[in-house]
Amino acid sequence: MSERDGVLPFPSADDDALVAARLASLYGNTRPVERAQIERCARAVLLEASQQSPRSWLAGVRYSRWMWSVAAAAVLIVVTLRGRPTTLLEPQGAVTRVDDGQAIRFDLRLPARAKAVAIVGDFNGWDERKTPMLKRSADGTWSARVALLPGRHVYAFVVDGDRWLVDPLAPQVPDSGYGPTNALVVEGATR
Amino acid sequence: MTDAELVARTRAGDADAFGALVARYYDACWRFAYHMLGERADAEDVVQDSFLRAYLAIRRYDERDQFRGWLFRILTNQCRNFITARGRRTRRFVQDDVAIQSAATPTIGMQLGVEDAVLARAMAQLDPLQREALLLKYAEGLEYTEMSKMTGVGESALKMRVKRGGERLRAILASFDV
Repeated sequence: MSERDGVLPFPSADDDALVAARLASLYGNTRPVERAQIERCARAVLLEASQQSPRSWLAGVRYSRWMWSVAAAAVLIVVTLRGRPTTLLEPQGAVTRVDDGQAIRFDLRLPARAKAVAIVGDFNGWDERKTPMLKRSADGTWSARVALLPGRHVYAFVVDGDRWLVDPLAPQVPDSGYGPTNALVVEGATR
Repeated sequence: MTDAELVARTRAGDADAFGALVARYYDACWRFAYHMLGERADAEDVVQDSFLRAYLAIRRYDERDQFRGWLFRILTNQCRNFITARGRRTRRFVQDDVAIQSAATPTIGMQLGVEDAVLARAMAQLDPLQREALLLKYAEGLEYTEMSKMTGVGESALKMRVKRGGERLRAILASFDV
């Protein structure tokens, strides 16, 4: 009898154990990647990172000013055409519990200059006027403190009223047609 | 050398230390990405992009977290974004020929290998969020608290995804038998 013959209309704990065992087996039987592929990845990452780091950009100051202008224009065109920021321009966010866990402080560091930043989410009806963020320092860090009930909350940032951003390193919710968003689970008893 | 030591050396500019982190976690990342995306080339791209993001953000890594968990958070985000972008291009999920071939030649017997290939096909038909939940829970062996921290999804919702995903997976497997 095959395993599939044992499928019952009402799944039991044994069924879950069977799925778990088969998935673990599938995972375990996946052919390991070759060492060359791993080394290729490490080399590519380091190369890409060196091309993106400010140090490598500064290393090219020996070039004339007009070349810098051409390069800057090219970057601007690429960013505009792609419709999303490059890795260097991506925001850096942080989430911290404050006020003895009664509130959450959202921080967002933007490498690019911004005139106004707001946080939007399920807690303020996705209204960018309700929770503006305050610029904390000259390094481009914006902050907002929000009292959140325990549970899951979905949010995003709005820059200058029209550009929506997410923190690429925080958990993200898949794009359901309105753009990607971040998600946060506030621990505690849900009401 | 521990992860923390390798991270500290990477932050100090030691490229070999980062190479050691890649060597330590590449296989695990690739395996997850491959079973999420179903294609080897896609998995390779997404894993490489995840390591790049991790490298560029290594100063933001908090040592109180497990490096593997932090890396997997980036990886799950990248997989989701990739699936969303691919969904715009095509609504079809493709399990490549190489994948089927490799699953059919397992190390512990042909019978199991055939089942592996069938299971891989069934997994490919699942909703991506259910597939992600099942892989994290059963293949990666994570606790729901770890999964919640990694995905930003509440534990109850994750339990429901695993439950529904398991039921759906069994139904798909049963349909293959007809």
